[in-house]
Amino acid sequence: MKIALLGNPGAGKSLIFNQLTGLGVEVNRYPGSSVCLECGNVCYKKEKIEIVDLPGIYSLDGSSEEEILVRKFLESGGADIIVAVLDATKLERNLYLFSQVAEFSPKIIAIVNMIDVAERQGLVIDVDTLSARLGVPVLLTAASEGRDIDRILPLALGSARVVTLQVPYDHHIEAALKSLEKTLGTPRYKNLLALQGTGEEHMLLDTAGAIAHEIELRHRMSVRQIIATNRHNFARKVAAAAVRQGDQKKTYDLDSLLTRVFPGVPILIAILFFLLLFVFVIGSWMQVIIVQLFTTYIILPFGAMGLPPFVDRIGFSVLIALEAGLGIAFPFIFTFYLGLSLLEDTGYMTRAAFLADRAMHRLGLHGEAIIPMVIGFGCTVPAVMSLRILKTRREQTIAAFLISMVPCSARTVVIAGIVAAFVGIIWAFSIYLIVFVLLILTAVLLSRITPGEQFGMIVEMSVLRRPQVRLVLAKSWLRIKEFLFIAMPLLIITSIALGIFQYFGLTDLFQQMVAPVTVTLLGLPDYASTALLFGVFRKELAFETLAILAGTADLGSVMTGTELYTFAIVSVLFIPCVSTIAVLYRQLGARITALISIYTVFLGFFVGAIINILMK
Amino acid sequence: MQPSLREDYLEAIQHFTILNGHSPRPHDLAAVLGKPESEIQSNLGDLRESGDITIAGDTSINLTKTGRLTGECVMKKHETLQFFLSEILGMDSSSASSEACTLEHSVSDETVDRLGNYLKKTRPFGNNGADRQKPAVCGYTGATCDESCTPSSLLDFNEGDELVVRGILGQSCAKRLLDLGVVPGEKVKIRRKLGTHALVLQVKGCDVALSPEIAAAVSVERIP
Repeated sequence: MKIALLGNPGAGKSLIFNQLTGLGVEVNRYPGSSVCLECGNVCYKKEKIEIVDLPGIYSLDGSSEEEILVRKFLESGGADIIVAVLDATKLERNLYLFSQVAEFSPKIIAIVNMIDVAERQGLVIDVDTLSARLGVPVLLTAASEGRDIDRILPLALGSARVVTLQVPYDHHIEAALKSLEKTLGTPRYKNLLALQGTGEEHMLLDTAGAIAHEIELRHRMSVRQIIATNRHNFARKVAAAAVRQGDQKKTYDLDSLLTRVFPGVPILIAILFFLLLFVFVIGSWMQVIIVQLFTTYIILPFGAMGLPPFVDRIGFSVLIALEAGLGIAFPFIFTFYLGLSLLEDTGYMTRAAFLADRAMHRLGLHGEAIIPMVIGFGCTVPAVMSLRILKTRREQTIAAFLISMVPCSARTVVIAGIVAAFVGIIWAFSIYLIVFVLLILTAVLLSRITPGEQFGMIVEMSVLRRPQVRLVLAKSWLRIKEFLFIAMPLLIITSIALGIFQYFGLTDLFQQMVAPVTVTLLGLPDYASTALLFGVFRKELAFETLAILAGTADLGSVMTGTELYTFAIVSVLFIPCVSTIAVLYRQLGARITALISIYTVFLGFFVGAIINILMK
Repeated sequence: MQPSLREDYLEAIQHFTILNGHSPRPHDLAAVLGKPESEIQSNLGDLRESGDITIAGDTSINLTKTGRLTGECVMKKHETLQFFLSEILGMDSSSASSEACTLEHSVSDETVDRLGNYLKKTRPFGNNGADRQKPAVCGYTGATCDESCTPSSLLDFNEGDELVVRGILGQSCAKRLLDLGVVPGEKVKIRRKLGTHALVLQVKGCDVALSPEIAAAVSVERIP
């Protein structure tokens, strides 16, 4: 038995999903798309029931990945029962989607959620009228209070009904639907989509296209507009019958502070600053503790066991990889998602996007991209993982390039540990300056050459509300699991490969092979190439390895200022770390990941070479 | 006298009379039609002979019954054709007007009747139309273009304004807006407008943030 939750973004689906399933949640990628579906199992009356949380959408007719996914899901009968989650405070708008879902005639029940908020706004919803109008069972719930959530499964399993509701369309549309059905034998929902130009059957699309053209001439309006207007009118009628506006308590409108330039922008900057500080400070602190504990209690005892050298080498490599993964997962991903969940769940995120829209527009992005970009200063991995909040692939691609270049906290360690300590603090800042200039140039270039249209922002402002601790923790935990799952194998494999490499003494060979680049082009000592190579685990490893290979922690005594400066800037720009590559691959696929890696390597060498030539 | 010239004169006299509440004098017609007064005088003589007009002592020109019928009929043809050309075919209003001036003389009564019925049928779904239909007379040049010719977008209004959506220009962003309830006839309110012209629109009880380029595509008018 499979149940799917479907509804508008912000209707409370995730919260209901979490309350139904608990923590046993898996994230699955739907075949052929980058949209993730969350699935969880629950046992009800000794039967295993799979619950799927479909992505939040506004419509089923569109061409966004989420909309296509849900449409295909409904078309293929992906679930036995659909639980339509409606927002009680915006019932009319939510019924618009419901009227579309009804066209696919699934077995369905309707949940009117957030009834607690509606009550505070003085809205009274008549369940019987609504249920009669929609022809399906209706349940009122308040997920944030957990009210009546336990009644969802019994109702869904016991009395879900095939919905027979039909929106009365304009008579020309109805006539077109009938004639298509008669001549081609295609179902109503397919014909409706075809009239709007969506579908895969050429025959149907051509015929429907011709009819749609006629209708558009007659109505002086696009078929999409006519259909949307009909649906909205239907939704309005149903909502008007079922919702009564009672006394409304006047509440203070926080938006009068948050969405104005003043004090909205200072508030935004303060929030972003504290988020970054939180990730940076707490994250770095936790990472040091984890790495220390790991080294003291696992790596050192392992080394003391006196295993055969080859086994020791392999074991050591695995442990290093584990250490690198855990060192990112808990300190950075956890803290970041804690912060991000707070921002998302309170509804502040949409305000931030609104305020930042213009600035981000210049980079070929829009408002929502500000969060990943700022988080990139803390850690690239959660920043890349949060790219999913961007709507189009074009934006995700541009933002991925930029994030991979933003100096994360590990790269800050390199800059601080090498340049600030041995060359000078001004020089350390100059590295940031160089990186930002490159970043803006990259953004300008990418916004021109990246395929896809730049859409402006159309974002619904989510309602401001108090976040749920349980949901925040559940979300963060989910992301950590996801990260460990995707990054660990790659980390371990790379680490073992490097271990074997070293074991057979190939490091010297490698150093000689790349010497033309390191020594001639960049003017660095030959062992620097090995240090850079280790930087792909954690960037600060480049710094640590350099110290080990140079045989002293006082790098200033063995390398010149120019050499140190070049080394730092190359390792800052050079290829993202393995964990970043893993999440990039997961988020955007192999091609973009390869492009980003090649681009950053090229950029690192290019800038390094220029500095070497200029400063010599 | 050419039939088309006769019709132009009768239409102009009829239109002037309706517009100003009194009968035109030759110099009024000269201004309206953009012709020298001497030519007008000779043409008016022809019209009086054919029994379409009478000229009073103070040179004011009045239509006879047949003259008025013809004038009204031509005016109606002009309006219908111009409306069709500009609103359905999308021509700009001044070229639609001059095109209608040519067509009105040869088009049959039946065609205009059917066209009129067709336009009436579509009007309930149209968002504007009747209010845009401005009678114009042949010879009028430099059509006075007021607000209704260039629909105003969301960007032309300020924070707190309550508006009615007339339509969405351009297709790329239209779908999401339609889904959110920004459909023709819907009442909306501008909740917030920043200096950058990004704005927050209240529609169906929800706040939606829009970039300026999106807001520019939404054509609206003040709630009457």
